[in-house]
Amino acid sequence: MTTKTTSAPPAAGPRKGSRRRPPASSATKVGRPGFAWALPAAVFFALFAIVPLIMVAVLSFMSWDGLGSPEFVGMDNWSRLMDDPVMFQSVWLTLLLTVLGVVVQTPLSIVLGVWAAGHQRNRAVLSVIYFIPLLLSATAVSVLWRALLDPNFGIPAEATWLFGDGNLFGEQATAIGVLAFVSTWQFTPFHTLIYQGAARAVPQVLYQAAEIDGAGRYRQFFHITLPQLRNSMITSMILMIVGGLTTFETVLILTQGGPGTDTTISAYYMYDKAFKSFDFGAGSAIALALVVSATVISLIVVRVSGYDKMRSTMEGVS
Amino acid sequence: MKTRARLPRLVAGGATLTLALTLSACGDGGGGASSDDGKIHVLVYGDAANKVEKQLVDTFNKTSDVKVVLDTIPGADYQKKLQTIISTPQAPDVFFNWGGGSIKPFVKADLLMPLDDFIKKDPDLENKFLPSVFANGVVDGKPYGIPMRGTQPVLLFHNKKVLDQAGVKPPKTWDELLDAVGKLKDAGVTPIALGGGDIWPTQMWFQYLFDRLAGPGLFEKAVGGDKSAWESADSKKALGMIRELVDAGAFGKNYDSVKYTNGGSVALVSSGKAGFELMGSWYYSQQLTDAKEFAEKDLGYTVFPAVEGGKGDPAGVAGNTNNYYSVMKKTEHPEAVAEFLKLMYSDEFVKAQLEIGNLPTTTNTDKFIDTSSTPEYSRFQYDLVADAPSFQLSWDQAYPQKASSSMHKAIQQFFNGQLDADGFIKAMQALPTE
Repeated sequence: MTTKTTSAPPAAGPRKGSRRRPPASSATKVGRPGFAWALPAAVFFALFAIVPLIMVAVLSFMSWDGLGSPEFVGMDNWSRLMDDPVMFQSVWLTLLLTVLGVVVQTPLSIVLGVWAAGHQRNRAVLSVIYFIPLLLSATAVSVLWRALLDPNFGIPAEATWLFGDGNLFGEQATAIGVLAFVSTWQFTPFHTLIYQGAARAVPQVLYQAAEIDGAGRYRQFFHITLPQLRNSMITSMILMIVGGLTTFETVLILTQGGPGTDTTISAYYMYDKAFKSFDFGAGSAIALALVVSATVISLIVVRVSGYDKMRSTMEGVS
Repeated sequence: MKTRARLPRLVAGGATLTLALTLSACGDGGGGASSDDGKIHVLVYGDAANKVEKQLVDTFNKTSDVKVVLDTIPGADYQKKLQTIISTPQAPDVFFNWGGGSIKPFVKADLLMPLDDFIKKDPDLENKFLPSVFANGVVDGKPYGIPMRGTQPVLLFHNKKVLDQAGVKPPKTWDELLDAVGKLKDAGVTPIALGGGDIWPTQMWFQYLFDRLAGPGLFEKAVGGDKSAWESADSKKALGMIRELVDAGAFGKNYDSVKYTNGGSVALVSSGKAGFELMGSWYYSQQLTDAKEFAEKDLGYTVFPAVEGGKGDPAGVAGNTNNYYSVMKKTEHPEAVAEFLKLMYSDEFVKAQLEIGNLPTTTNTDKFIDTSSTPEYSRFQYDLVADAPSFQLSWDQAYPQKASSSMHKAIQQFFNGQLDADGFIKAMQALPTE
């Protein structure tokens, strides 16, 4: 831990522009973060994330029904999945739900977030009300909507002009619609919160300058607010994508992957294989595929959006 | 200087190491149920019936040196959690199950104790139970389960008022049922309420109709591994009859969006929007809870209609035969376990079960039926089960647990037209039977 700061001052005489650093106090030495500081977190992460991940990877090459000992079967689980139409459908459905989530929630939460960042009357009260869905657990939300959408006693029974016979969970298109709607209802408040914070951080000088130049509210929104929200938008979208790829509870409670396999998304299919059909090998293979694809997609989003370079939204300001 | 800087590292490293060791020690069965603490652990499905189980455990512990500990797993995840702990040191000594295929994989994995020896010492462990019920705890000719709790036959319930208004009588035959469907449709109600969103209520129509049409032999063959059973003429005929019933609009159009478990289909019948519902015997107490006045005045019940020319006896019953206690092979107190199981045919057990609305399947139940909360209904059920030549265990319990998900999918898809008869047959043939 010997550092230059404690060694003798430079042999050469004082140079122009170089300031002598004050001797490091003992406080900075103790406070300097070493590797040991990260150890507890690293151990926990290894224990509860890395080790299980490795075990899942190993299990994906085995056949195991939870009883007795696993049996090595090579690529069997993987080749079975490759021939499985439900697997392909589940990938497609997962992507569809993810894209639907991003496309619907992003504009909605930007508008709400920017609005909530203002100073209107009753804004605080309404913001709190908007926030409530996020406070409920996904399970509670799903149970609630399943009851509200009951064809004979829920909303569809009252609005037959819109819902017809109310068979929302009996057909693929409407069942997916309901899933997308429920997660929008639940998670828009969260993304609204992100955009609200970001919109508040936009320097007021920009708006003042724009006003002097005669820009209206819409121009200000599209030419100042929106570009300034870029980084937040990427953060929010990455969260939406990862959340979308791992959606589970809503499907488990609202549709159980049905009718038939019509809403069986990958995460649910993994659960179905592992914990309902007791085929832990196949379940592990799906899980591993899900981890890899979610990581790759997130990386692509980060790369394409330039988020990794963290360009400042303040450029051109200072 | 160097040592001083190293010290915090050493401390931190040591602390994490200790932490890691403590954590890994947790996995060695430090907490929860373990079999080597001189007690018997009995694992049951956690619900209202635990009241009786607790009472019996207390009774047993008063006189026994080896004490029983009751562990409960709440909720419908019982089977999943059971399967994850069954081959670990946390496994119980005795556990609750549904008999039939639900324990077959455990038998195959050599985890369960055959109960022949217990029964040899105390023949009452077999004789005191109704034969059709005891039979469902038998796997490969050996008994692995002692009945506990109560039987739950599936019955055809109806709303008396709705049937009267449409001029319909409870159907005794399949043709009368089809006739009733037409009349109820004309009267503007959904003929039959169905919680298709839960899928298992849909399955009840399959298991009963197959039993009536082909007799219990067909399904026995299928679950025994003979896949040709599913493509037999009887099987195809039964599928055709289900198709006919669905296409006649018997269940309306939105049955897959209706659930039994959130009270949807239950309310359809009690509010007069539907005529019939096929459901397990627990339906009566469900209606008592949800719509007391209706349950007491207008709720009727009959057996599943007979099928003309069918090979099955119209007195045959389908549903949940009963629940069972199975014993783990590795239990260290088999004598005490045997003593505990004797309580399952005791008078105390029967009385306590009847009090909470369960219908035990012991031969002495008859004596106490009048003390039940609903004597007339209990009597009807008891006679039905006692006189039944066969009791078809629910399909998803008769097959091994790992088949149930695929089976449910096939049933739902055939019912709503996503699969045709051939597709259904193929899906059922692909189910694992062991």
